[in-house]
Amino acid sequence: MSIEKRKPLLEVRDLKQHFPITSGAILQKQVGAIRAVDGISFDVYPGETLGIVGESGCGKSTTVRSISQLNKPTSGSVIFNGIDLVKADTRTMLKARLDIQMIFQDPYASLDPRMTVRSIIAEPMVIYNNRRLLETPMSPMDIERRVEELMERVGLNKAFKNRYPHEFSGGQRQRIGIARALALNPKIILADEPVSALDVSIQSQILNLMADLQKEFGLTYIFIAHDLAVIQHISTRVAVMYLGKIVEISEAVQLYDNPLHPYTIALLSAAPIPDPKIERERKRIILTGDVPSPDKERIGCYFYDRCPKKMPWCSCHIPPMLDINEKQQVACWLYDKRDLSKVTMEEAEADAAKTASEKT
Amino acid sequence: MFFKRKQPKEAALNEFDQVVEGNSLGKDAWKRLKKNKMAVLGMVIVAIYSLLAASAMFLPIHPYDQIILDHQHLRPSFSKTAGDLMMESKLKDLYFKAWRSGSLVVTEAESQQIENWISQNETNKVWDFLYAEGEAQREAGTFTFSSADQRTIDRLQEKIDTEFLINIDKMFYTDSETGKRKNIARMDFLDIQRIYAEYIGVEESVIANQIQNEVRSQVLNTVKAATPGLTAEEYEANLELELQSLGEKGIASIGKTNLLINLKTAISRSIERGLKQEIKDGKAQFPINREITVNESLSADITADLKHERHYYLGTDYSGRDMLSRIIYGGQVSIAIGLVGTITSVLIGIVLGAIAGYAGGKIDFFLMRLVDIMYGLPYMLLVIIFMAIFGRNIMNLFVALAMVSWLTVARMVRGQVMSLKNSEYVEAARSMGASTGRIIFRHMVPNSLSVIIVYSTLRVPAFIMQESFLSFLGLGVQAPYASWGSLVGDAVNGMTLYPWKLVFPAIAMTIFLFAMNFFGDGLRDAFDPQSKNQL
Repeated sequence: MSIEKRKPLLEVRDLKQHFPITSGAILQKQVGAIRAVDGISFDVYPGETLGIVGESGCGKSTTVRSISQLNKPTSGSVIFNGIDLVKADTRTMLKARLDIQMIFQDPYASLDPRMTVRSIIAEPMVIYNNRRLLETPMSPMDIERRVEELMERVGLNKAFKNRYPHEFSGGQRQRIGIARALALNPKIILADEPVSALDVSIQSQILNLMADLQKEFGLTYIFIAHDLAVIQHISTRVAVMYLGKIVEISEAVQLYDNPLHPYTIALLSAAPIPDPKIERERKRIILTGDVPSPDKERIGCYFYDRCPKKMPWCSCHIPPMLDINEKQQVACWLYDKRDLSKVTMEEAEADAAKTASEKT
Repeated sequence: MFFKRKQPKEAALNEFDQVVEGNSLGKDAWKRLKKNKMAVLGMVIVAIYSLLAASAMFLPIHPYDQIILDHQHLRPSFSKTAGDLMMESKLKDLYFKAWRSGSLVVTEAESQQIENWISQNETNKVWDFLYAEGEAQREAGTFTFSSADQRTIDRLQEKIDTEFLINIDKMFYTDSETGKRKNIARMDFLDIQRIYAEYIGVEESVIANQIQNEVRSQVLNTVKAATPGLTAEEYEANLELELQSLGEKGIASIGKTNLLINLKTAISRSIERGLKQEIKDGKAQFPINREITVNESLSADITADLKHERHYYLGTDYSGRDMLSRIIYGGQVSIAIGLVGTITSVLIGIVLGAIAGYAGGKIDFFLMRLVDIMYGLPYMLLVIIFMAIFGRNIMNLFVALAMVSWLTVARMVRGQVMSLKNSEYVEAARSMGASTGRIIFRHMVPNSLSVIIVYSTLRVPAFIMQESFLSFLGLGVQAPYASWGSLVGDAVNGMTLYPWKLVFPAIAMTIFLFAMNFFGDGLRDAFDPQSKNQL
């Protein structure tokens, strides 16, 4: 089944999330913006797991927060079930968000220490029940039953429902977080680095649990991690982000076997291989310089400053997503049909100026 | 905690049918608190104080506002009655006079000593010495009072033996036709009016007129107290308005209280005459607690005590009121001010602080600048001005203190809310669609509650101190009400002569403040898991 023929569950189109930088005491003036997410588009199909990887500060978490409307996006659209969440009014948005739930990174911080496990897991049900947004209203007894059922499902003893989060280990707490995300029977779960705060042995348990749940309830995941092995394990497709942009998006197998974007190649080469022989012999690509600050608008490729294969053309043309084949898309001028490596700086700038004037 | 709604609580059983209970942070804190001996002691003392203050009405103590002029400045004593003490001070006075006139002879050295004491203003020592000396000499027969002095002593002794206090608990009216007996306090205004007129033997209309006038002047007085500085016509107009707003019912209820007091006074006078006769005949046995028939239709339940049989364990003040009951009732006022002031200031502080912290931006900016400005003003001055403008009563004192003391709570809560606003569990709640109110009151406030509780317990003594300060200056609680501060303030005059007036309220207050501070410190340690007395 090809990707194009399936109907996407969630469509993200040109999503931008800029955080204003202000100055002044009373009359605050905006003097700039941190472009945390700067125009990304992708589709999520039912039943799949979309992994998002990238280094710290590249906008992975901001992306899922924007999708779940925790931060109101600056522009762009998030279409779920035919509703644009960005433009919808609060009630419609809440109703739609019933099917979008989140799992958080730090299981120690994401559970209210003053609430029992019961009230933590019941909270989404209670909130939606009080707002009368549930199709069938739940009685306190229904909620109680559901809490027990969920606890058993995620592998917690239901006898612990009167306990408080600080009485559990990290893995158990993350299970509580998962149970809470499952409470409303969502269609899609946004998991913001759900395993990076856990021990490696616990990580695999949680990942397997999530995989089981996906099979059982037909869930769709958007899964963030900076651990490439984890992403490889759980994802069907992977999006690689750099500086608020998606640079490559492809099937997981394809990505690991045949990375296309220079950044992806560098990223994959940075992951250690658990075999000393190969590890010693393999050549790592070391990128020069630091990640540039995301506070200014860019006219060229976002990776231009550090790219080992940069061309003059890249300095003033933002690469579009290019379809390499039906499974792999990449935003890099190297894969343009034209051969751009011979274009000189002057020609490239002239071309950029021409396009700019045409636009205006 | 405070904001948790009741949930269907079901015992959670594990595989072995054992109940599994959670261990909340509050429970942990309680466990830690129990290990801190000083804190527990403080808690117990606070509890005892609160209990005493709350049950002051039911304690077997003398009324705190009953003025008995004969009992002025009696010293505290466990064994001696008020009468003994009265006699003692009379005797001291007489011995002193006798020494002055030369009829009480002491040695030259002792005389010199007395002169020294007098020049050093140590009157108590003079009195005590002369009393002991005089008693000894009288015992030995070397000294006798002049006949005039002896007469004074005898008259005082008779007074002590015969004077009594009547307290009418209930009055009953028996209808001469139907023979039904009714409690007068439960009857209608007009019925009482008729009974009263009948009893004192005047026309009912006269009584009605009199009561009408009484009520008018009473209301006028309250109007005058509420808004001072108006002209007579304006008062007249205000009075009419006030009377209208009171309505028939309100006037009737004021009138009824007045009538009952009048009737009580009239009846107690007649009963007093009867009892005096009984004492003369030597039939009376005190304490009396019985029903006395006044005439064929009226009767009353009375209790009567010998006035000078009383014991004053902590002495009396300048108008003969019992210090023990005044300290207990004063504690009631002081503790109430501490608690109510703290609760109001904490509530205002939580709401404003949470709004400022959660909303952020301009709202935060303006609220916090308001707080800064209020901080900048000398707050005691504000309170004093407020009390001067709106009148001195307990309610205004509450309002004035609460008005200036929410600032710190507001800042503290704002800080807490700001730090919690970006915590993951708040974001999780937001991602579940929780409303702002729910986030603030179900997540943020319970999580900052420990800080707030600790602050409030430490705040209570501060309030009591402030109230005492105001009362000491004469701006706080007004007589006949008492508070620890006003008791100390009253006692400062003549504190060398009557030290008990100063010492006991001061001790009572100090112990309470100590206890409260220890308790607060204990709570702070208990709520802070990093503190050194960990579990």
